[in-house]
Amino acid sequence: MPEEPDTGSTERAVRRNPVPALLTSLLGDSLDPGYAAAAQRRDGTASPPDGRRGPARWWYWAAGLLAVGLVLGIAARATAASAPSAENTRSALLGDVRAAQQRVDALAARASALGAGIRSVQQSLGATALLSTVADLEQDGGMTPMHGPGLQIVIDNAGDANGPGAIQDSDIDLLVNGLWASGAEAVSVGGVRLRTTSTIRQAGGAMLVDNTPVFFPIAIDAVGDPSRLHVAIVATEGFARFSAFASLYHIRFDLEAKTDITLPAAPAPDLRYASAVPTSR
Amino acid sequence: MYAAFALLAGIVAGIFLQPTVPDWMAPYLPIAVIAALDAVFGGLRARLDRIFDSKVFVVSFVANVLVAAFIVFLGDQLGVGSQLSTAVVVVLGIRIFGNVAAIRRHIFKA
Repeated sequence: MPEEPDTGSTERAVRRNPVPALLTSLLGDSLDPGYAAAAQRRDGTASPPDGRRGPARWWYWAAGLLAVGLVLGIAARATAASAPSAENTRSALLGDVRAAQQRVDALAARASALGAGIRSVQQSLGATALLSTVADLEQDGGMTPMHGPGLQIVIDNAGDANGPGAIQDSDIDLLVNGLWASGAEAVSVGGVRLRTTSTIRQAGGAMLVDNTPVFFPIAIDAVGDPSRLHVAIVATEGFARFSAFASLYHIRFDLEAKTDITLPAAPAPDLRYASAVPTSR
Repeated sequence: MYAAFALLAGIVAGIFLQPTVPDWMAPYLPIAVIAALDAVFGGLRARLDRIFDSKVFVVSFVANVLVAAFIVFLGDQLGVGSQLSTAVVVVLGIRIFGNVAAIRRHIFKA
């Protein structure tokens, strides 16, 4: 609508920032204007009381309210019916996840059992020198379970996983790198053996070690000379950070020397693109 | 009195007759509920204002449900269905709030 030209009248107050008409009508006219219009048509009189209402009017009224009630009832019923189905979907998904995890565990156990079988057959066939090289390489790659003396570090959040005093993935990274630098020969975080390509990452509230979720309190096991490890780790940046966290935020940070720690094997590396170069004999 | 009976009968029928809601209708059910609540509270307020008119009540209810459903349907086709249903819910929600406030002023004089 075009603005009315200013006729010079001074009695009309000029609003510099007019409220948009849409918002005014939205906030002011919450009642349907139809009611007022209908009342006006009846010469502004009040609506007739129930007794004098005509039958047609009465039926409008009853049918309308019946329809309203139907809508509300159907909606209530649909909401009640869809709630258990959402719950069912959730629990079915959880079941699927659990079944898949069990399957992964079973397959990993079978893979390491088969690996042990292969090794024993190779040993019985001979070729010891070559096999010992392979075994060393496998140990370095974290593909075989190991045990030995070492250091166990247990860390835990000081309360809420999102509040102050929450341990981040980069903190654990730093601590583990400190362990490697201190001469650890094999490390596992939360029961997951680290291999050369392992990652420690955070997704929401969950800590993922090699894409396997681990939960606080997390035990970090490192195999190595316990006294040497203990002396060396104290000088690392990761240790300094965690001891500062422990005194500032009261997180749990316990170091303990163990006489025998057993580390599981890491899963075999999953090569997606690489394949061995064919050797010509 | 009859009004309360009709409303109750509708709710009971909706819950116990278990009419199946077709899948294509499911997104419009919440909108219809909001429009129904708007009509009920608007009617109640008009009644208290002594300007109630049953024809206006029925026509405004049906038209509001249809228009709201159409807006959401159009939004779905254009890919902005959730935003438009938010718009419908906001507009009707403000109206419900204003009407309930007016009813409250009528009843409690405060």
